[in-house]
Amino acid sequence: MTEEEVAMEMEAVEAVYGEDCVILDSNPPHLHLHIKPRTAEISSQQFVEAVVRIQASSKYPDEPPRISLIESKGLDDQRQKHLIGIVQEKASQLSSSLMLVELCEEAAERLTIMNHPDGDCPLCLYPLFPEDGWSKEMPFMKLMSCFHCFHCECIIRWWNWLHTQKDTDSKSGDTLHMRRGTSTHEGNSGSGGQSLGNCPVCRKVFHASDIEHVLDLVGAQSSQKDSGLIQGEDEDPLLQSDSENVRRERFEAILKTQEEKGGLVQPKKNISVVPGMYLPPPAPVTASSNEEEAGHSREQGEEAPKEAESETNSSSSTNHRGRGRGRGRGQNVNRRKPNSQDPRKPTRQWVQRAREDDK
Amino acid sequence: MTSSPSPSRKALSKIACNRLQKELSEWQVNPPTGFKHKVTDNLQKWIIEVTGAPGTLYANETYNLQVEFPQHYPMESPQVIFVPPAPLHPHIYSNGHICLDILYDSWSPAMTVSSVCISILSMLSSSPEKQRPTDNDRYVKNCKNGRSPKETRWWFHDDKV
Ligand SMILES: [Zn+2]
Ligand SMILES: [Zn+2]
Repeated sequence: MTEEEVAMEMEAVEAVYGEDCVILDSNPPHLHLHIKPRTAEISSQQFVEAVVRIQASSKYPDEPPRISLIESKGLDDQRQKHLIGIVQEKASQLSSSLMLVELCEEAAERLTIMNHPDGDCPLCLYPLFPEDGWSKEMPFMKLMSCFHCFHCECIIRWWNWLHTQKDTDSKSGDTLHMRRGTSTHEGNSGSGGQSLGNCPVCRKVFHASDIEHVLDLVGAQSSQKDSGLIQGEDEDPLLQSDSENVRRERFEAILKTQEEKGGLVQPKKNISVVPGMYLPPPAPVTASSNEEEAGHSREQGEEAPKEAESETNSSSSTNHRGRGRGRGRGQNVNRRKPNSQDPRKPTRQWVQRAREDDK
Repeated sequence: MTSSPSPSRKALSKIACNRLQKELSEWQVNPPTGFKHKVTDNLQKWIIEVTGAPGTLYANETYNLQVEFPQHYPMESPQVIFVPPAPLHPHIYSNGHICLDILYDSWSPAMTVSSVCISILSMLSSSPEKQRPTDNDRYVKNCKNGRSPKETRWWFHDDKV
């Protein structure tokens, strides 16, 4: 291999990777490659990134370059080793031919495959990304506001549940499902309530746009599959609204770009997603605490029948609010006290009222 | 009354089943301190023995929690009560109902049986005195026919009222 050939190879590397490639030395080649998953055009889809160093000796390419990891995000030790190991292996396989571009490609490909968070989905408790190659893989996403990750399917199911609950509730003039400090406040008028939610883990408020890309994914998948009834859930009819169609179109545009780039965002062909969940109207007795109603009672007490009022009064003399402390798994600490977001009402207490008094 | 009737006695959805099986297997590997799951073949209703934490008013006392899961668990909260006799506590009624926000409107599907248990134990542990809620008699009387605490409206109330 001549020096010229190596120099040309370095030019090629520069041409391909542009700013992502920092050349420290051109002969023998020594470079830093900043790699991101190729599916991560949308920042919400990015869970990992890395800087890889490729350092060749004067015997390059007969002697393969040394590969090391300078920096990484979102990769645990095991995946770091795996990434470097694979690229090293590739280097030995290719020894004696010019290999820099291929090594860079290998690194980027591998990182793309590793573009997933660690740990379990907080909603179904199954791994976000099954490493055993046996369990069913499901798409996942992260909330941009807090970086908590969920299976797309799980968070959408929860999101739909919240809104179905809310719809049913407001129709029946009953409870509003979402809590104080959440969309019942900020988006209480009309469909505005659709726009905010709270992370199930930390209760941090997120905007619907945070999970929009997932709704897109779900929409695209249901358009690719004829059936929306999946997983044997008999209560899941297909969600087919206009807004779903719009989302789907937008998603397909993104999908096209991703395909051109060899991206992974493309939904798995064989995966099934539950796009919506039909929920029977709640039994008349399904009541959770009710901010709106509490508000009414605060204002006038009109809706509170006499007995309830007297209970209220008797209870208000006691400190009657149970608090869960030390929640398990180390998560969720401090996320209780939804009212703490409302400084105007710092001293509310729990009071209970008998159901049959309501109407 | 030894137990409340089930919330609606609808069978668990498949999602609820999967989730509970997962919770159960994690519990078996790593149960929360102070709790023992009494094994039955009923996935939808767990009986859990809780032992008061050392150094608290309830040290060495044991009680039974009954946890019943609705069809759409974990979207819906489980129904959690003490099987009477319930511990004497300002937030626990003599019929076993527990006034704890996370069991009702502060429930989140990211919570688990295990995290709920830990919350309940911590509620017990922090109690300054053994007594019933002041409205215990009225409340219990109102809970005719073993009504579920989830049917109670636990609601916020402004102090100034
Ligand atoms: Zn999940
Ligand atoms: Zn979060």
